[in-house]
Amino acid sequence: MAELKPFVVTSWFGHRNDKDIPAVIREVWAQKFRPGRPQQATRQSNVDFALLDARGKLVHWFDAVGSTRYGRPNDLITNTLKQIRLGASRIATLRGSSLPKTANLLKLPGAAPGKTGLRVFVRLDDRRMPAYRLPVVEFVSLSARDWESLEWPTTPRTVDASLLKKWLSEVYPPGVMERVDRRTKRVFSITSVSGSLSLTPAVPDVNARYAVASGRVRLGDSGGDDFSFEGDLDLVITYARDNPAVQTVRGVFRGSYPRRDRIRQTTRHIPLEAVFESRPR
Amino acid sequence: MVARTHGLHTPRKARMTRLATMMALLLCATGSLRAEDLAVERVLAWYHLLRPTEKDLAVYRLNWTGSLDEAQQRAAREGRPICLVIIHSKYGDIASGHC
Repeated sequence: MAELKPFVVTSWFGHRNDKDIPAVIREVWAQKFRPGRPQQATRQSNVDFALLDARGKLVHWFDAVGSTRYGRPNDLITNTLKQIRLGASRIATLRGSSLPKTANLLKLPGAAPGKTGLRVFVRLDDRRMPAYRLPVVEFVSLSARDWESLEWPTTPRTVDASLLKKWLSEVYPPGVMERVDRRTKRVFSITSVSGSLSLTPAVPDVNARYAVASGRVRLGDSGGDDFSFEGDLDLVITYARDNPAVQTVRGVFRGSYPRRDRIRQTTRHIPLEAVFESRPR
Repeated sequence: MVARTHGLHTPRKARMTRLATMMALLLCATGSLRAEDLAVERVLAWYHLLRPTEKDLAVYRLNWTGSLDEAQQRAAREGRPICLVIIHSKYGDIASGHC
């Protein structure tokens, strides 16, 4: 990651027959898909890296997979680093330049000023696919009404998990592409959340009151084939001593995602984890 | 924004060490607590265990911008180069981690 710190990083997606392809991407694809280009001894993927100088001029590009061999993720890292270093060596502005002090501070998705919401970290613990084990971070803005279902429970009560759908619908694996509409190529979204949570008050301390919400939750998507997966949801909610409104939420989802292998016609159950934290508190 | 890279996940051994440490601290701290308090401590222990570390989140230290235009403006302003990830796909927006 250090190799990319000097860069402003961005992405673009689209097809070769799109009308509004930026010039620099046309330039990359003109080289990549040049007729008569010698058959590469390398693999070709649908992801390319392009390194541009400060004026936006293409300096270097490479296929994200390139010479990486199948099932060798370390090759991918090595090749990417090698290519970035090669490109960086050709960019004059990188030599001897200094970054602004705030350039590479950790910046996670979060609440806009004056707004509240929930940050969701999702991770699929697939040992065959190291990339999926990195967390995806989403932020869901929530209104005062969205928090109401978790208000202080004077006595233990049950909460319908579907009331938390706005943010539980972010709990699905990053990058797993088999749950995709084959016609539109759009990833199916989580459309159903079911289950019951027990919301139980805990002993307060001098500063706040606490409650725990726990239960089994089932999530289904828009695929229309009754696909679903489930897991345990546990949340700790804090409240002021004199107000039933939610102050903070911290919690986890620990579930199992049935990943279908269409070639082997088998299903693997892979741990799917999510972590929740309210923001700004 | 997020991009995916390999090899930055928390190794299993490190996670097990974190889990053991969390559980030891939990046991030390909860000797005289009631069941409801233990539930709070248990959930918070899982939260701290599973929350990605700064190392896991290193991609969020990069200076992501929302579009190529924005990146080019910023690059020109700050005299910095651009790393552009091109995805040949109808839906490949890595601005959302759930691409």
